[in-house]
Amino acid sequence: MIETHNLIKTFKSGDVQTPVLKGIDFKARDGEWVAIMGRSGAGKSTFLYQMSLLDDPTDGKIIIDGHDTHTMSADEKMHFRLVKFGFVFQDYALLPELTALENVALPLLMRGHAKKEVYRVSAQAMKQAGLEHRLDNLPSQLSGGEQQRVSIVRAVAHKPKILFADEPTANLDNESARRIMSIFTELHKAGQTIIMVTHEEEYAKLAERIIHLDDGKIV
Amino acid sequence: MIPLNIRIGFFLALRALRRASLWTTSLIVFVMVLTFLNLVVISGILVGLLQGAVDAVRTEYTSDVIISSLSDKNYIENSPSIIAIVQSLPGVAGMTARYSEMAELEANYQTRRASDKPDIANAQIIGIDPLEENAVTGIANDIVEGEFLEPGDYDKIVLGNYLLAQYIPIATPGLATLENVGIGSKIRIRVGDVTREVTVKGILKSKVDEIALRAFMVDAQFRSMIGRNDGNVDEISVKIAKDADPKSVRDALVLRGVAQNAKVQTFEDAQPQAFKDIINTFNMLGSMFSSIGLVVASITIFIVIFVNALTRRKFIGILKGIGINGRAVEISYVFQSIFYAVIGSALGLVLVYVLLVPYFAAHPINFPFSDGILVAPLGQTFFRVGLLIAATVIAGYIPAWMIIRRNTLDSILGRN
Repeated sequence: MIETHNLIKTFKSGDVQTPVLKGIDFKARDGEWVAIMGRSGAGKSTFLYQMSLLDDPTDGKIIIDGHDTHTMSADEKMHFRLVKFGFVFQDYALLPELTALENVALPLLMRGHAKKEVYRVSAQAMKQAGLEHRLDNLPSQLSGGEQQRVSIVRAVAHKPKILFADEPTANLDNESARRIMSIFTELHKAGQTIIMVTHEEEYAKLAERIIHLDDGKIV
Repeated sequence: MIPLNIRIGFFLALRALRRASLWTTSLIVFVMVLTFLNLVVISGILVGLLQGAVDAVRTEYTSDVIISSLSDKNYIENSPSIIAIVQSLPGVAGMTARYSEMAELEANYQTRRASDKPDIANAQIIGIDPLEENAVTGIANDIVEGEFLEPGDYDKIVLGNYLLAQYIPIATPGLATLENVGIGSKIRIRVGDVTREVTVKGILKSKVDEIALRAFMVDAQFRSMIGRNDGNVDEISVKIAKDADPKSVRDALVLRGVAQNAKVQTFEDAQPQAFKDIINTFNMLGSMFSSIGLVVASITIFIVIFVNALTRRKFIGILKGIGINGRAVEISYVFQSIFYAVIGSALGLVLVYVLLVPYFAAHPINFPFSDGILVAPLGQTFFRVGLLIAATVIAGYIPAWMIIRRNTLDSILGRN
């Protein structure tokens, strides 16, 4: 379970302060799929980044499985992201010099698993995503949809507690986007907790719950 | 078991290098090769410039050990017994004994008119056994005109090139030379009260003053000219076997009492202090140039890694975002730096030891006072390789650390 209490994020630039999140209370139970919507600048992505420990809130609490993340060191947060979270970014965020298989394998290797086993599990996961013929391709040799599928495989190969997705279909054509959403649907059915930012109503409706952000608050 | 961060760092570095642009990698390696050459060759040539002179003096004059007269004596007393001791020592491969006396050489005495200035040069004449001398110093190889002496030669002389005007390209004040003297020319030599007319048999050309400024005659005749019939000589050059140590031979001679009648020195001991000081100065200069090279290499690697890390900042952010330890990413850059330094050094080593050292040995640089070679002792070279790698590692680590410590999200989103 992930919950936030009075989550505040204010950006500072010199003397100028820009409040983006203005005290958000939120809770997502295990296995839930929550879509976060809102107009541009509403703070959707900022909210996602705070929850996924990629950024530090200005104030408030984030509690994940009973752990108050406020007290964690940077290294602990990094380890938390490695073990408990999966990330899908809008621009896929694959490492260009690693093959598709290596991109998937990297987080598993970082967890200290045996190399042989890591590559076996990664190849299996790629196969399940219909990418078995792309194992040795570099990201630059894949289509946008394929890259995003590799990105999803990387995010879930280690069976994370929560999958964070930041506008995962924004850069894709309709067909690829629908395919990505069908993967999300399958993952959700399998019990995966998903927190997804999207501005597309059609895909948000696939989630169990939709929250709308406006002016830094849930409305 | 290798720590996880190192394994992941190596994994990332290997892929980054494998898939990097060939041109970029080649350029960086090229810079490293140049840096390596700067580290090794510049100081190597500077030292080699003098080493060439040291080697030449050792080969053509002192040999490995030289025994000479004490400063307050005219010659080496008890020379026959010293020669016997030298010959009995293990490790001695050969020796040559020399008589030496200051003489006046005159060239135009047959043709000059009363108003002409005599063509005179002062030089030391050395009496040698031509066979023994050549076996130890090989100076017959320095003959550029005519022939070297033979044991039966009488009234024959071989002149060093600095005694002849045609071998001095620029007039040197204070250095009197003989004009129009060549092979077959008759010259008159005056040693003390003895004057003889001799024929020039050969001309030696050398950058060693002890050859170039001297004249040589067969010892049997010269001994009688200077009235030295007791067998006492002025110098003994001792050549030792390849596996023997000049210092042990020197010490053995001293131990047998030779030092009571003569100065016993290895070729290194015999170098003038000023020469040793110049070598030290050149070594220092070489180290200074090398240090500058090292700083340039470090800055190059710093810039390369900094630009690389900066352009890959987003991906570094992603790596951290998905939980890859920043330390592993830093290590990956360190490995990349090591790769550049090791490959650059390896190519540099091949260039130096396969190409440059043999080349300069075969074609020494023609300096006025020596034949400059490239001196690159393996131990020193590997020390410099170590320095280069260490400097590169630091230069690679710092920019990576600077980029990696930045906020993860800012890196992912490309925010400053």
